[in-house]
Amino acid sequence: MVSSRFCALKITLGKFFCVLALLTMGSVVPAAAASAEDVLHKWLSLSLSLIRHTPTYTPPVASRALAYLGVTAYESVASGSPKLRSLSGQLNGLNALPAREAGRNYDEAVVLDAALAGVMRDLFGNTGPSGQQAISRLEDDFKKAAVTGGSSSETLTRSEAYGRAVAKHISDWAEGDGGGTIENMGFPWTYELTKGPEHWVPTNPLARQQQVPLLPKWGENRPFAMPAGTSCPLPPPHPYSEDPSSAFYKEAYETYQTAKTLTPEQKTIAFFWADDAMASPTPAGHWVSIVLQIAEHDHLSLEKQVDALARLGIAMADAFIGCWHEKYRYDLIRPLTYIRRLISPDWQPFILTPPFPEYPSGHSTQSGAAATVLAAIFGDPYPFSDRTRERDGAVPRSFNGFIDAAKEAGISRLYGGIHFRAAIERGYEQGKCIGGYAIALKTWL
Amino acid sequence: MIVFLVAGTTLLYAAEPVSVPLFQEETAQSGVTSVYAGDWQYMVGGGAAAFDCNGDNFPDLALAGGEDKASLYINNSKRGGSLRFDRVESGIELTGVTGVYPLDIDGDGTMDLIVLRVGEAVLMRGLGECRFERANEAWHFDGGDAWWTSFSATWEQGARWPTLALGAYIDPKSADNPWGSCTENRLFRPNEQGNGFATPLPLKPSYCALSMLFTDWNRSGTPSLRISNDREYYEGGQEQLWRVVPGETPRLYTDAEGWKFLKIWGMGIASIVFPNDTYPSYFLTSMSDNKLQVLKSSTADAAPTPVYKDVAYDRGAVAYRPYTGTDLKPSTAWHAQFEDVNNDGLFDLFIAKGNVDRMPDFAAQDPNNLLLQRPDATFQEVGDVAGIASFGAARGAALADFNLDGKIDLVVVNRRASAKLWRNVTAEAGHFIALRLQNDGPNRDAIGAWIEVKRGDQMIRREILSGGGHAGGVNGFWHFGLDNAKSADIRVIWPDGTTAPWQTVAADQFYRLRPDQRPFPLVP
Repeated sequence: MVSSRFCALKITLGKFFCVLALLTMGSVVPAAAASAEDVLHKWLSLSLSLIRHTPTYTPPVASRALAYLGVTAYESVASGSPKLRSLSGQLNGLNALPAREAGRNYDEAVVLDAALAGVMRDLFGNTGPSGQQAISRLEDDFKKAAVTGGSSSETLTRSEAYGRAVAKHISDWAEGDGGGTIENMGFPWTYELTKGPEHWVPTNPLARQQQVPLLPKWGENRPFAMPAGTSCPLPPPHPYSEDPSSAFYKEAYETYQTAKTLTPEQKTIAFFWADDAMASPTPAGHWVSIVLQIAEHDHLSLEKQVDALARLGIAMADAFIGCWHEKYRYDLIRPLTYIRRLISPDWQPFILTPPFPEYPSGHSTQSGAAATVLAAIFGDPYPFSDRTRERDGAVPRSFNGFIDAAKEAGISRLYGGIHFRAAIERGYEQGKCIGGYAIALKTWL
Repeated sequence: MIVFLVAGTTLLYAAEPVSVPLFQEETAQSGVTSVYAGDWQYMVGGGAAAFDCNGDNFPDLALAGGEDKASLYINNSKRGGSLRFDRVESGIELTGVTGVYPLDIDGDGTMDLIVLRVGEAVLMRGLGECRFERANEAWHFDGGDAWWTSFSATWEQGARWPTLALGAYIDPKSADNPWGSCTENRLFRPNEQGNGFATPLPLKPSYCALSMLFTDWNRSGTPSLRISNDREYYEGGQEQLWRVVPGETPRLYTDAEGWKFLKIWGMGIASIVFPNDTYPSYFLTSMSDNKLQVLKSSTADAAPTPVYKDVAYDRGAVAYRPYTGTDLKPSTAWHAQFEDVNNDGLFDLFIAKGNVDRMPDFAAQDPNNLLLQRPDATFQEVGDVAGIASFGAARGAALADFNLDGKIDLVVVNRRASAKLWRNVTAEAGHFIALRLQNDGPNRDAIGAWIEVKRGDQMIRREILSGGGHAGGVNGFWHFGLDNAKSADIRVIWPDGTTAPWQTVAADQFYRLRPDQRPFPLVP
């Protein structure tokens, strides 16, 4: 049992993890009206759990959900804030949201709760029975808490209705982006592998679904802020070659040699940023977790939090779209296949090779985008500690800033043995390009 | 052009014909109406126990009921006739029951039951004539307060009472956010007084165990405890193999010892020894891909290490999505059990399937599997043509010869629907023998023994186990198909290591085997 006293004693980054712990230990019964900040943190914390425990939530799908949740939170708060402007008209396909009734009172926590609950129901409608129950209970808890907060019943009713209207607007908007329906866990029913030794082939013969690559059409989805999946293209990878003197072979050999001589620190880094589907909140969830920790540690205003979460989510979702577009444009072989074919037939990378093409590195692209956005919002250097993987046995890591963290996330894929260096370095550059679109959004009045 | 057609993979293994058994559903006339009822806390569990509780050799049934009461059905089938059961008041009519395993715990010659519950686990002492009474206090058994979901038992060398392992699932009080809340598995060893159990030892870390199995995987004479865990709810967890040495604190096999990291939605464990193999292999049920693990390498002059290779796809033991019907989404597999259903001398694999609960990304119409083993140790799906491809939300099951006609029948427990029974009516089944072990001393069921059946140049081995599957198991006659052989050579390696001499027995008989005695025919 995690008591509130325990939580109160935590000095740094504590409350976010107390929220996680309390949720986990089944003690979430708000005794009094919840603040909008509590509502935001608890719903997003639950979303990170559901991403981990909902089978369709591979990293691209998770990034989409976190973007919609970020925009939902942002629009809910912005509609009642004199400091923020709506993202409608700035994001692809997002029309003007419902307006609040002029001169009427709203309970901001109730608005935010109703909006987030509605979008959560929509995004995680396919989660399992435990997830459905967790959503229902959190909704119930906040509803019970709301009536103790001093707002009139009319205000509560109006606020809930408005939050629901925001949720419906966001859900309707999301419906047409191409990413809302995930069949067969994201693996196409039929797929034609590209001929040629340089192209991706399945890497896990024991997983039946993974004999075809994940979400090959994801790069065609409607982005949020960037114009299209093609907006930040990459140059081709090194020309495929089996000649030991070639750049391609040398990069493969670097991955092979690095994996053979991993230091304890390199193993720690590879594990810390592994962020696998179904075993973590995925890369996008990892960065959202970082922002939630910073928000708590630095006592960010609600407006600042939703601005950061919205633009971070948008940048990462766009990064996955742009990255996936390039992945399937080049359809490059994974190190596992190449190294076993040409260097060492029994070679094993340190982490699992994910089931899709290599170039560019998804974590590098989206971490580059995330760091670009967060550095623009918070500045860089911006020291912080990250406890995201603590419950999986990883020691918290400290960073001088977002760019340091993103660079480490990128190189972790070399340590893990799942990428060549070019995919990491160019992926990061692609992320910077994509993040620029999120930075360009006008959020503050 | 290489095109992967994801559906229809069973066709890849359909080249060699097998003798397809035929099952006839007899649920309506069987009298069995038990439902595994309840909501969230009963999304797992739903076990079936098949065992003889009234001494007539016919396997009776104990079925978990979830929110409904557990039920006991006396088998009133006639030999070779239709399946007929009658529900009786037995003393096991508890609510909250997730699973039931039969075991003669106190060695008095009468079968007892381990009753897993959401709440307190209960040991039920068999009184004879299918009556049971609670024995937690008498046997000093602390049934705790947990969401108990798995069980296995062994007799540690020299012990007069069994060692029981109980596996727990998530913390029922963590319904708001249950992930990472797996509660403590426990190991109950005999107490020093010799009248029951000592204070249980925690088996930590615990990772939401849905199946446990004490098995002598390396033929060392000291079984280890395999645990299959549900990755949905643990954090930092994996599949486990505990080294349980008498007098020592259990410890996990490590990566350095060869045990490899594996995360699955572990639901059930089934053990098989393939023909002429020495060591057991294990089928692990999960969501989507299941595992068929064979010991990777072993040599005569070196002790095996617990390194397993997954050969599920190589051998066609494929059950990752429905093989019939229109629903092609991934499957959810629960109970698994190897039995020879066509008496061809090869153990076949039954898998109970069913959606967890309205999970739209997994098959809602998920047929149970019946995978027939072929002579080359590959498998072929025949569930639909054999007649057992029901589409309920199956959980537990038990395969046993309910009408003592020498053919393995089937009961399947379904969530929120009645259990179903099938009679094996295969016309061209091979010959068989059925062997019940009766050990001297406290371990009456001879848990940990090995039965070897030799037919020509083929050796079939079977480890006598208590546990595994999903929330239930069988205890009684151990069935061996003999194909067209009229007799077989058999021997038993008893739990104390004593190897009985080879003896020839006639086919199509039920025998009781005791140490130092000739096989005794039980059923006329």
